[in-house]
Amino acid sequence: MPIANFTIYLFTMFGIYALFAMSLNLQVGYAGLVNFGQVAFFALGAYTSALLVVKAGLPIAVGIIAGMLASGFFGCLLAWPTKSLKSDYWAITTLAAGEVIRLFALNEKWLTEGPFGVMNIPQPLEGLIDKYYNIFYFIFVLIVVAVVYMLLSMLTDSPFGRNLKAIRDAEDLSKSLGKNTQKIKVQVMAIGGLVAGLAGAIFAHYMVYISPENFRPLETFLIWGMIIVGGRANNRGAILGAVVIQTFYVSTRFVGNYVPIGSDLMSAARMIVIGLLMVSFLIFRPEGLLRERKKTYPDEV
Amino acid sequence: MEISQIIVNSLIRGAELSLLAIGLTMVYDILGFANFAHTEFAAFGAFLGFTFNSLLGINLLLSVVLAALLTGLIGILLDLSIFEKLRARNAKTLTMMIITMGMGIAIRNISRLIWTSSTKNFPMPLLQPLKILGARITRVQLGILFIAAISMVAFHLLLHHTKFGKALRAISDNKELARASAIDSAKMVQWMWFVAYSYAVIGGTMLAIEHLLYPRLGFDIIIPVFCAAILGGIGNPYGAVLGALTLGFAENVIISLDFGPLFSLGGLFDVGSLQLSTGYKPAISFMILILVLLIKPTGILGEN
Amino acid sequence: MLKIENIEKSFGQLKAVNGVSLEIEKDDIFGLIGPNGSGKSTLFNIISGFYRKDKGEIYFDGERIDDLLPNQIVERGLCRTFQVSRAPERMTVLENMLLAAKNQVGENPLNALLKRPMVERSRKKNLKKAKELLSELDLFHLKDEYSGNLSGGQKKLLALGRIFMLEPKMVLLDEPTAGVNPTLTNNILKGMQNLREKTENSFFIVEHDMGVISDVCRKVFVLNSGEILAEGSPEEIQQNDKVLDAYLGRN
Repeated sequence: MPIANFTIYLFTMFGIYALFAMSLNLQVGYAGLVNFGQVAFFALGAYTSALLVVKAGLPIAVGIIAGMLASGFFGCLLAWPTKSLKSDYWAITTLAAGEVIRLFALNEKWLTEGPFGVMNIPQPLEGLIDKYYNIFYFIFVLIVVAVVYMLLSMLTDSPFGRNLKAIRDAEDLSKSLGKNTQKIKVQVMAIGGLVAGLAGAIFAHYMVYISPENFRPLETFLIWGMIIVGGRANNRGAILGAVVIQTFYVSTRFVGNYVPIGSDLMSAARMIVIGLLMVSFLIFRPEGLLRERKKTYPDEV
Repeated sequence: MEISQIIVNSLIRGAELSLLAIGLTMVYDILGFANFAHTEFAAFGAFLGFTFNSLLGINLLLSVVLAALLTGLIGILLDLSIFEKLRARNAKTLTMMIITMGMGIAIRNISRLIWTSSTKNFPMPLLQPLKILGARITRVQLGILFIAAISMVAFHLLLHHTKFGKALRAISDNKELARASAIDSAKMVQWMWFVAYSYAVIGGTMLAIEHLLYPRLGFDIIIPVFCAAILGGIGNPYGAVLGALTLGFAENVIISLDFGPLFSLGGLFDVGSLQLSTGYKPAISFMILILVLLIKPTGILGEN
Repeated sequence: MLKIENIEKSFGQLKAVNGVSLEIEKDDIFGLIGPNGSGKSTLFNIISGFYRKDKGEIYFDGERIDDLLPNQIVERGLCRTFQVSRAPERMTVLENMLLAAKNQVGENPLNALLKRPMVERSRKKNLKKAKELLSELDLFHLKDEYSGNLSGGQKKLLALGRIFMLEPKMVLLDEPTAGVNPTLTNNILKGMQNLREKTENSFFIVEHDMGVISDVCRKVFVLNSGEILAEGSPEEIQQNDKVLDAYLGRN
């Protein structure tokens, strides 16, 4: 059953990355806030949940929720100094924050076990479901993706979502219409953080083992690739991008079996393709595979 | 650590970062976007220089010059093939910035594909370091300071005594006007890329010579270089130099400080000596960056 | 209603606004004219909170507003338009109108998720109002067009439409008719007067076109080199020698 197992693994990863990509999409696609350190939120969710469950013995549900909250709080914290600044500053501060979180995980061995990582992370209901556990976990992830997709769509369709798009396209105008753009930016970083933290926590409990290696800047670039290829300001685009990029990323592992090329070079080649894909999409199809949908109001009045 | 040693280390670090920050700040000033591929090209150029020097046996200085020129040319080519078209299309600065991020990923991994991830050392003669006022400084480090000083004087002359420099300053002062004479400014923009990347390669090679050369070098210095540029007031090349020196000092002072007395609250508690773990050295520029953004986002030389 | 005292603002060496004081009363239309670079737009940017003044005080409805953020000033009922109309690229004309509506329940993300019926009700109400206003402004046929695709004049008309949705007490209009064809100019002026009659609010208009100013304004201020050169009725201004020298003489 290795192929079946692999397929289930791949689909579970689609789900986790779809959540991760949707969180970035909310910030970048809707609000135009360039976040180059999204992996920090993912890592915070993963570590918070894993450590609370492994070291403090708390229930997994509590761990996941705490992971979301920690990550959401970090979003607020990060938005604070930059909320009145241009997007260039967002880009660099988020990039740097991502590195600081990784350094923390690497250096604070008393808490995070440093480079050795956190092992034996419990999985939800693991004693109850034996044989088909990975199918169970996949269904669990699928349900979470569906719920998050629904909630995010409700948000982006609401006046809140409209405010985000206005900040993205014309921040001055939003201010002149009385919108508290700074507060909205903090809110959107918090919500993006919650979702990325959720993705991270689910990732940690799925992998059973996490270390700083899982949270390299590479992860941020991957989800950037996803929303650029899939399409921004469109949650379906983020999901499609997650599927496309993740399929490419995982499938190239098999190329190594047929082509005599080291794993390091393979991963370099893979990232070159993703980098070039980002550049080409932005030049030739900037809206991505699925474009932002025009919001119309059918005649109801 | 001796104060004189801190000064020497800071000067060297500041000199290296200056050469990198000048180009970043210039591109931001003229084209209005942050170039996230900047330091990646510096690392790429350092690899080129390494290849010329240790594989082809070309003299080190000549290798660096060749690498700087080549990388500068790549900068021009990328402007012609990508950025010029996007400018004509009035692409948003946000798009430009993300494109540079994608470009950075590609170039970093191209280095990895060509030269592999294993770290490299520039072959340097092992000589007894000199002692100046109690500070140890190697001949290589002296050379780095000397070349950095020459490069900066050259940059100043370039900016003030050449047609290119005058045009560049004119564009910087009045971007509306510059757009009206598009052809001239397009040429200037290409020269600017050339200068930016050439200088970045010199700075990047210095870092690689002093420490190590590896594909992630570019990514590892992106935060300090941005920090230097923002600290000095982004868009101002002289500010970038000042910012780089300030950051160089801040990093070295913070690393050598003993925070013990501070946390013992005047001897109330015995906490012994408390020094920042070197594992956090990369975080210093981040902390300084956040402080600058909170207190004065326009930088040391900037207006409010 | 709006009282400006001794406002100063410099950019580097350049003194853009140099000690301007003026007062705008309720329920009327006021004009501000002056040559290019006389500091009109800077003054508007200071009043609306987009620039920080160097010196001076601004009061609106008796409350000091010169330290407030732009959105706080709008909350107090003073709003503005821009000389070059901002038009979100990927938002439709109708979305633009809905964007401007005040105090929408669903602007709070938690409400947007939890108070769906309330959000729905406020949406219906705003939608109805937005559609009516668009018809009045002759923009209804464009309601599903991206605002980024509108012509300059249509963008200015849309800017006015957004102001209608916002229902402020006072509006600062920055060159509402500049570069707009005569038909649209007429629409804009008509819309402005309609709004004023309905809501009894006041307008403060920066204009280049003396014709427009004298048609609609009760009182006009003339700004030159960052200072108030003269003030009075349009007729008085047109006969003022200093004004003729500084401004009208050049046209």
